[in-house]
Amino acid sequence: MSWITQIFSRRRVYDDLSADIRSHLEERADELMKSGMSRKEAAETALREFGNATSLEQSGREVWRWSFLENSLMDVRYGLRVLRKNPGFTAASVLTLALGIGANTAIFTILNSVLLSNLPVKNPQQLVLLTNPDEHGRQIGFGDGERDLLTYPEFQDLSARNQVFDGILAADSYIQKQDVSIGASGESESGSDAQIGLVSGSYFSVLGVNPILGRIFTTEVDRVRDANPVAVISYGFWQSRFGGDPSVIGKKIRLLSTTYDVIGVTPAGFVGETVGYSTDIWLPLTMQAEAIPGRDYLSMETNPFEKREWLQVMGRLKPGVSLAQANSSINLLFQQYLKAQTETGMSADQKRTFMTQRIAMIAGGRGASTLQAKFGQPLQILMGVVGLVLLIACANVANLLLARAASRQREIAVRVAMGAGAGRLFRQVLTESVLLAGIGGAFGLLIARWADSALLRLVSGGRTPVPLDVHLNAAVLTFTLGVSMLTGILFGLVPALRASRAEIGTIIKGTSRGVVGGAGHRSRMTMGKVLVVVQVTLSLLLLVAAGLFVRSFQKLSEVNLGYDRDHLLVFRVMPTTYGYRGPALNQLYKNMLDRIAALPGVRSVSLSEDGLITNQDSNDPVSIEGQPPKVGDGANDSRSDQVGPNYFSTTGIPILMGREIGPQDSGNAERVGLINQTFARHFYGDSNPIGTRVSIITPAGHEDFVVVGVVADAKYHSMRDKPSRRFYIPFFNPMGNVGGAFVIVREAGNSAAMPASLREIVKQSAPNLPALDISTMNEIVDDSLTVDRMVTKLSGVFGGLAIVLSCIGIYGIMAYSVAGRTNEIGIRMALGAQRGAVLWMVLRESLLLVLIGVAIGLPAVVAAGRLITSLLFGITPADPLALFLATGLMFLIGALASYIPANRAMRIDPMMALRYE
Amino acid sequence: MKTQEPRDLFPGALEMMILQTLRSRPLHGYALVQQIKRTSNELLKIEEGSLYPALQRLLKEGLVSAEWGVSSTNRRVRIYELTPRGAKHLAREVSRFEQMFEGITRVLAPAKS
Repeated sequence: MSWITQIFSRRRVYDDLSADIRSHLEERADELMKSGMSRKEAAETALREFGNATSLEQSGREVWRWSFLENSLMDVRYGLRVLRKNPGFTAASVLTLALGIGANTAIFTILNSVLLSNLPVKNPQQLVLLTNPDEHGRQIGFGDGERDLLTYPEFQDLSARNQVFDGILAADSYIQKQDVSIGASGESESGSDAQIGLVSGSYFSVLGVNPILGRIFTTEVDRVRDANPVAVISYGFWQSRFGGDPSVIGKKIRLLSTTYDVIGVTPAGFVGETVGYSTDIWLPLTMQAEAIPGRDYLSMETNPFEKREWLQVMGRLKPGVSLAQANSSINLLFQQYLKAQTETGMSADQKRTFMTQRIAMIAGGRGASTLQAKFGQPLQILMGVVGLVLLIACANVANLLLARAASRQREIAVRVAMGAGAGRLFRQVLTESVLLAGIGGAFGLLIARWADSALLRLVSGGRTPVPLDVHLNAAVLTFTLGVSMLTGILFGLVPALRASRAEIGTIIKGTSRGVVGGAGHRSRMTMGKVLVVVQVTLSLLLLVAAGLFVRSFQKLSEVNLGYDRDHLLVFRVMPTTYGYRGPALNQLYKNMLDRIAALPGVRSVSLSEDGLITNQDSNDPVSIEGQPPKVGDGANDSRSDQVGPNYFSTTGIPILMGREIGPQDSGNAERVGLINQTFARHFYGDSNPIGTRVSIITPAGHEDFVVVGVVADAKYHSMRDKPSRRFYIPFFNPMGNVGGAFVIVREAGNSAAMPASLREIVKQSAPNLPALDISTMNEIVDDSLTVDRMVTKLSGVFGGLAIVLSCIGIYGIMAYSVAGRTNEIGIRMALGAQRGAVLWMVLRESLLLVLIGVAIGLPAVVAAGRLITSLLFGITPADPLALFLATGLMFLIGALASYIPANRAMRIDPMMALRYE
Repeated sequence: MKTQEPRDLFPGALEMMILQTLRSRPLHGYALVQQIKRTSNELLKIEEGSLYPALQRLLKEGLVSAEWGVSSTNRRVRIYELTPRGAKHLAREVSRFEQMFEGITRVLAPAKS
């Protein structure tokens, strides 16, 4: 606002007043000293006679206070009137600004939710995380160095012995999705899925979440295992499944085979400690055996190298304790705990490796997140992209303002003649700009609202919706306000400066060339041209980025997975959760597979432990019989999977040598296995691996298999997977306990009825067992590319926006140029210039601008390219095709935008032009 | 008998007197105070400092203007000058005051006897 300049003049006024009063007091004191008083006495007397100097000075200041405010209000009113009188200009500017600011707000809202905002808990700045916020799941085994997750016994130990926390909580790092029924067994409706979170008794009190109904867990629920079937439900769940019933406390819900009492409801807005998860029901950790049957994650591990790490742990710092202090203190305790575990007969080497484990404590106010790792960087890049779009928009509005300034010169000159100071004029024009930006910003908020819901839908298109809070909040409003003001000042500065330096004489007299002539015209042209060149440069950057993303995405989606993409369906079953064990379990699987194989349209079916493109995997060190171990960190590690018969023919992974796993490879037969190409090359080089024995090193000892085949490499995590070593052993002759299976079905065609048939078969094989997440391979792949798709689409949209804005900008400046050169063109034509030559003259000017913009832009592109390398796949930022296309497009735009002005120039009647003064 | 406190000046009185004093010549703050005291024969007890808010009001209305200059004692002072607008305002206010004064005098006249 004009308060910026107000501050300067107000300071002067206040200073003058101060100085005046001071000088008065000095003069009086001098006079008193002449009549014999001491300096000190004179000063005191003068002050006393003056009255209450401080309050009098204050009164003096207050005389001006309202005046400054009045001026601002006047500026605002005047500005609004000016904007109303030029509806075309105002509409164009507001629209341009709304798009620019709206895009920025939209991206910022999401960025804020994912990366910046704190959990809706008490004093989030006191919270710390002892675990890795990006890690979710179970890690069974051993890993050295910094801990991602903690075990339950470790949490209990830290909880009991720490001195630095007011409270410490643990939560399952992975949200379970389970069927929940309202009412105890036998009663009312069975229902749909709910998301279940297992948490310690201290969870809610440490976070500072108070229930709106009933009560929360206390540390009581941690004391005895399997003895507290109580649940706290979320506000959302209470509304959707209980209809907001106020007597919900004491009602029962049923999960798997256990009935829980609802004891409390959390406030709206709280959905857990992990951003990206939306918990419906919280259960005590001590109920783990009921909530996740067939597994024990609570007991102390029998072998210290076989840890079950699954908990996120957070603490609330005691007042006065810093994060660094807490970190050292906690690590000390942790080291003591680990040391005690090494007394179980570890070798010196093992001890050393074991003791490398440590906790890396970080600020925990933002909680854990499933979104940060995935969206963090793309969002930041998008923020940069929309920033550029805003700058381009500002350039356009600045040009519009300059164009209008030309026609306002008389008005300004008159005001100057009537006494308006340069400062006042500056303030007034700047106020207009900021008003414009403010109105644009307000509309931008609306656009952002709409854009964000569209964006969320785009990103959540897959199987799991992304729970993000994109409502208007203080942070977003502040951001929008700030951006609007900066924008207004940015494009309003130059016109304001020009207005304040208006030269009355030349303006009122009118120059020889009229409104569009004279020095004013030329300097306006230069400014305008500079702005357009800036626009071209920025647009080029955006176009190249968009082009790169498009090509990268194309390459990514065409990546060969190593197996058939078009005819596979995958779904998941977890029979151990529903009570199946031992021989009954295997029988269940075999039944299911047989029935599915019998379906018409099914070519083949198999299963595996880790599925395809999932987040599940195993990594173990191996040892080849007759070979010394390889040197290097992890050089003996290999990923693995346990797969059923016909796995490779079902998935379509080519078998390069030997045979695949068959029905005979089960039970107590000697275990066989297959290795992939990378494994073979790494350990065997060129020699034949068939028939050799591989040992898988486990904490308990080793499990062996005999190599019976070699298969091609395939991708298991994402399209961007690099080839890694992998071996496959039989699902029915497994290592350890397998919790569930991914069933893989290869069909002959693409039947839409297949998912339903599969679900039916599973129900027939096991009545209470759900088939989870039935998807085609293509759907799974699409899902995994969500973020890339989002970035590509958005950069395309923003690139398009940039082109439109630049087009308008070039058009504007060319139209102005032609209008100014009317006289000159008329003369040329009268002297015999052809229409074609005139056309070329205009075109040349516009293409020159583009050329300069591109010349500056290309090096900038190469420099900036480094910022987006991490998102690109298969191409470099300096991809020649992208650069070539973008540059060509800019020239095309330049030519297109100047088409109308050039046309106009061509049609100029020399006679009219010569008379035009 | 209690000592009579002198009445407070009615609003606008101080401003009027400042304007009148500045009519003869521009003065700086201190000199202005002395001049008013002298001319009123010490009858009006004005708090010296209250001059300054009054001067600010006059500045804001554009009735006086101020410039930094040098006083007779070679001191850097802010010199106030009556503006044409101020002169016009003064004339108006004085005539209004005299009108009011006359009216009050007439009403109070019978009490005198």
